[in-house]
Amino acid sequence: MREVESIGPNTAADLLKHMAAGSEAALREFYQTFNARVYGFALKRLRDPADAADVLNEVMLEAWRSASRFEGRSQVSTWLLGIAHHKIIDILRRRKNQPQDEFDPDLLEDDSPSAYEVIVGKQDAAQLRLCLEGLSDAHRLIVHLAFFEDLAYEEIAKIADCPVGTVKTRMFHARKLLKRCLTQVNPRVVPSD
Amino acid sequence: MNKRNDHPDDLLPWYVNGTLSRGERQDVETHLQSCERCRQKISWLQTLRVEVKADAVGSPGEFGLNRLMREVNSQKSAQRLRQPWWRPALAVAAAIIVVQFAVLINVMNRPASITPLGGPAEEGVVLQVKFAPAATEAEIRLLLQRTQATFISGPGALGVYRLRLDGISATQTQAIQRIIVELTAQRNVVTYAARE
Repeated sequence: MREVESIGPNTAADLLKHMAAGSEAALREFYQTFNARVYGFALKRLRDPADAADVLNEVMLEAWRSASRFEGRSQVSTWLLGIAHHKIIDILRRRKNQPQDEFDPDLLEDDSPSAYEVIVGKQDAAQLRLCLEGLSDAHRLIVHLAFFEDLAYEEIAKIADCPVGTVKTRMFHARKLLKRCLTQVNPRVVPSD
Repeated sequence: MNKRNDHPDDLLPWYVNGTLSRGERQDVETHLQSCERCRQKISWLQTLRVEVKADAVGSPGEFGLNRLMREVNSQKSAQRLRQPWWRPALAVAAAIIVVQFAVLINVMNRPASITPLGGPAEEGVVLQVKFAPAATEAEIRLLLQRTQATFISGPGALGVYRLRLDGISATQTQAIQRIIVELTAQRNVVTYAARE
């Protein structure tokens, strides 16, 4: 296959078409476009740079091999993060310490507006990030896709391969868990309900 | 809109990231006008979004790209090695067999032609001629040259030769007749001539 040395400005879908035709130049451009997002997505969930780099490599290889199968039903980024999600899940399963997507009924009662007001004004970034790190993978996945990738809940459902209702429920639980975490870090600023 | 306790709580994160549909966004905005509690939640979620975005990580960059391209090329090489050397030869052999089979079928289906034992029918005008016993080879040759005739076969059991008249079609009956007359006029050479 003759290599296309210069493929010019392309959309992600165009790059996939070139990749399907065997263009390594398109693969390089595709990698440059998406590597940070895929790596960041994997690192946030796996918390291990080596594992995240492995996921990035495997995702790009799979994109290379199956570029011709991309049907354009979703955005390329959604398709790519969906591939990444399944690879991350495989790694987490191998680790066998995957936290469950827990549902704590007590949390649902902890929804004081005054607590939000206090946290927004006084928690610093380090505490918040610490609490984000403490979330389960299922919750971290939703928070990352909603606030880092700014994806709609329908797109998140495609990536996570779950119903839209599950996405919303997980986001709801993640918010509660974060609030509880922040309250524990600095109990003085959290008023009693 | 799923309003938990009449609040559009499950839509607020997506209101913050700007991905709600127009209708959903309008519903949320209408609600926010009269709900301090949800406005506080929005504020909190905006802070959360800023912090999540600020926590961007680097990536393997060029190292990752080099690793990827190495693996792509090694996979290509492995793919080439996995293809057995005899596969192209097998394809050629199969193609030859198919062609031979097609030729064989064609031959078998061709209608059988009936060939007389004396050989295939000659094209053109054929005359039966009997030469005089005393005629010399030179006389016969001269006569054949003059009439543009060539031997086809003979002599038969009765001493008859078959000649083909070159350059004359079967429809030129008068020309054929003239040649017959010319041949039989040479009585010392030709004793009999007639169209077959």
